[in-house]
Amino acid sequence: MTRQEILNELKKVISPYTTNKEMLAQINEDTDLLKDLKINSANLVDIIIDAEAKYDIEIDYDEADKMMNVGSCIDVISEKIGQKQ
Amino acid sequence: MLSTGNDIVSLNAINVTCTKQPNFYSKILTPTETALYKQSRFANIPFEVFVWLLWSIKESAFKFLQRIDADILFTPVKFVVSDVQIPFGFTLSGFEAIKLTGIGFNGIPTIRSTVKFGDHILYSSSLIYQEFISTVVNGAEDFSRTHWGIKWIDSDDTEIQSAEVRAFLIDNLKDNISISIGKNPLGIPVLLKNNQELTIPVSLSHHEYYIAYSFQL
Repeated sequence: MTRQEILNELKKVISPYTTNKEMLAQINEDTDLLKDLKINSANLVDIIIDAEAKYDIEIDYDEADKMMNVGSCIDVISEKIGQKQ
Repeated sequence: MLSTGNDIVSLNAINVTCTKQPNFYSKILTPTETALYKQSRFANIPFEVFVWLLWSIKESAFKFLQRIDADILFTPVKFVVSDVQIPFGFTLSGFEAIKLTGIGFNGIPTIRSTVKFGDHILYSSSLIYQEFISTVVNGAEDFSRTHWGIKWIDSDDTEIQSAEVRAFLIDNLKDNISISIGKNPLGIPVLLKNNQELTIPVSLSHHEYYIAYSFQL
């Protein structure tokens, strides 16, 4: 999967947890999950679990703590997908 | 260094089924913390509430330490909660108020714990009602200089919550003339008087219909 493809899918994963749909429409690798998308930190675990299910990967919290912006989420997901292949 | 950290979790907003799944709670609790729940003193606390209690303690500790070390990352399993003290005969009751404020927790039944992160040892006090969990973390066991507040608001819009929690905190400052709340360059909320940063550490949180603050004098 390309980074753009992962980003498009990630947008769907994040969507239920943000009310800032305007910012979600303009999402890019620099978008911060908490500051820009106003996602409550209590939903970060939900996003990780949903991403695990979506990509059939396992993300431990050492990796998850880096997932603060969209670019770093793509880094972690992309690396995990790579390890599967 | 003087700091404070708080968190509020609305229990109506959590996914109970999901929280009970090992792949979910193992991202928050260490195996030792999960084993703690088997002790009889937790009998009156549902497992999902226990998970979110520990989340709120860890998140509060993270916010406390973020002021000291801006590069710190929030890895819940690296914040280790121990010595959880539950008031005798504790049961979950309804909040039955719009707001609650206090200085310290004397006479208020709170769940207390110690939370460690690396070499840091911090202390937590949590209020738990059927509707929410509200935690404050302090650098010492003495909370007598810890000011806190919890309030129900009629909007779950994050922009409104953010404005309301700031107004709520300012309303509860003894001297609030020319006081505003801004963010320092690291994004941490700070009190400003005539746009000059004050040394009083503050922490703000909101979740669904609840907002909460803490500050330390």
